[in-house]
Amino acid sequence: MTKDVLLPHRHGLHEDSAAIIIGVIIVALSLVIGWNARPTADAGSREKHPKGWRNPLSATIDKPQSWSDSPARSLVVVDKKDPAKVTPVSRAILLGMAWVVGVSAVGTLLRGRSLLAVLPGACALALLGGLAYLMAAQKVINHYNLEYPLWALLVGLVIGNTVGVPKWLEPSLQGEFLIKTGLVVFGAEVLFSRLLELGLPGLLTSWVVTPIVLVTTYLFGVYWMKIPSKSLCMVIAADMSVCGVSAAIATGAACKAKKEELSLAIGLSLLFTVAMMVVMPPFIQWTGMDPIVGGAWIGGTIDATGAVVAAGEMLGRSIDDKRPAEVAATVKMIQNSMIGIIAFAVAVYWAGWVDRDAAGPKSSLAAEAWRRFPKFILGFIGTSIACSVLFTSSPELSLLIDGAISGFTSRLRGWLFCVGFVCMGLQTNFRELAPTLASGRPLVLYCLGQALNLALSLAMASLTFGWLFRKVVEP
Amino acid sequence: MSGTAGERHQRGPALGIARLLLVTATIVAIWMIVLPWLGSRPAISRHIETMEAAGVQPGAMFYTELERLPLRSEWIEQHLVLWP
Repeated sequence: MTKDVLLPHRHGLHEDSAAIIIGVIIVALSLVIGWNARPTADAGSREKHPKGWRNPLSATIDKPQSWSDSPARSLVVVDKKDPAKVTPVSRAILLGMAWVVGVSAVGTLLRGRSLLAVLPGACALALLGGLAYLMAAQKVINHYNLEYPLWALLVGLVIGNTVGVPKWLEPSLQGEFLIKTGLVVFGAEVLFSRLLELGLPGLLTSWVVTPIVLVTTYLFGVYWMKIPSKSLCMVIAADMSVCGVSAAIATGAACKAKKEELSLAIGLSLLFTVAMMVVMPPFIQWTGMDPIVGGAWIGGTIDATGAVVAAGEMLGRSIDDKRPAEVAATVKMIQNSMIGIIAFAVAVYWAGWVDRDAAGPKSSLAAEAWRRFPKFILGFIGTSIACSVLFTSSPELSLLIDGAISGFTSRLRGWLFCVGFVCMGLQTNFRELAPTLASGRPLVLYCLGQALNLALSLAMASLTFGWLFRKVVEP
Repeated sequence: MSGTAGERHQRGPALGIARLLLVTATIVAIWMIVLPWLGSRPAISRHIETMEAAGVQPGAMFYTELERLPLRSEWIEQHLVLWP
């Protein structure tokens, strides 16, 4: 049976093809079920359905809720208006784990591997994913934006570096497959129409500064700092310039970064996110900066979306103004929407130029690039384009998409990433990165890139939000 | 010699389990004692209360995880030239 398990792709599909098939089926399933359960009255009204139509699949998945003293509180949702009213979510959490086990099982079958050898480990990994989510749900951790990937990595690292990975768990370690499937599902959330939400000022702040910072940081790391791993430079550049962990995951998969490199980049990003979230609002207030410009600056520079909203809110509270939070969140949302294009561009660049084997067979450049291209990116872009087109087709379909995303696909994507990171932690060997880490160069690269990001974002936010596109309105 | 190797073999997993228990105990202590204590400090508890009152989801990795979708407000439409 062991031999059976270890045989790769025996009469089965490639990992990327399996990820695309499962990801597309999950997105399609959520849309079909959402459409069948569409409301009979006011179906096109966003006022009636601010987060989209309620998707019946939302009852089948959830994650541990925020808790402060007792982890048991993570198993219930407390009504904000009536704290005495609590709804248990333990069943939905267990079902969330079951979804991950299901995805692992179907992926195993599609890839022609032994299901029996994978199932026990997949259940154990789902439980460890739940533990990581529970750690991330602690209120202090949650409110300082130390997201679940960090704790999922920690859980895996602790086990992997103390007792090691048990033999029975090894066949179930499908971290890359889970993350790739998660990314295909994630494509549904990357809606191109969101790019236009803040018009030209938003586009200029996000689309001019972000690519400049990304490319400059990458080139700086590779050619000036001479960091040996190009994929490490790319992942650090992407998570710092685009939108933190989610960008690191997408570009890391696109440039086939090592697990250790992705872990390092995520760790750096989360540490700087906490610091910037705390420091930027009082700094903006202290300098007397225009609150709109300050909001756009926060949105363009802080990596994580949740931290951007929190920092915008902190700034707004200090000056009794809601606008900075709105602008910050919207600029970040536009940056979020760039992930698909950035990941696709990185995958093309890597397949066409970085991974090229000069000594390899002299087939055509395009054929070689296609052979190396990470095909799951096509699934990611495909679900993104399909959902973007549907989203803009009619008010009803936009509410269907929003409901499917908020009620189901974003939750499942979170679980897939979380368990994927547990697998990565279990397989991470930091000794391989020790020389690079000891040199401190990744940290220096992050700091220099972030300094450039801060300067350029401030200049562009001042130019677009503070001057060029500001209307003169009589008070 | 074989006895020494056997001992090492015996000691390896035991040491690993001891390390795992130690790290687990440290993590439990941090999550069950240190973090709740930190959360009860006035500055941090005020920050948490403020964010909760505003409906902010600070742990959100992507905009779709936010409680409210960031859509442009009336103020922005009135005060910014979105498409010149």
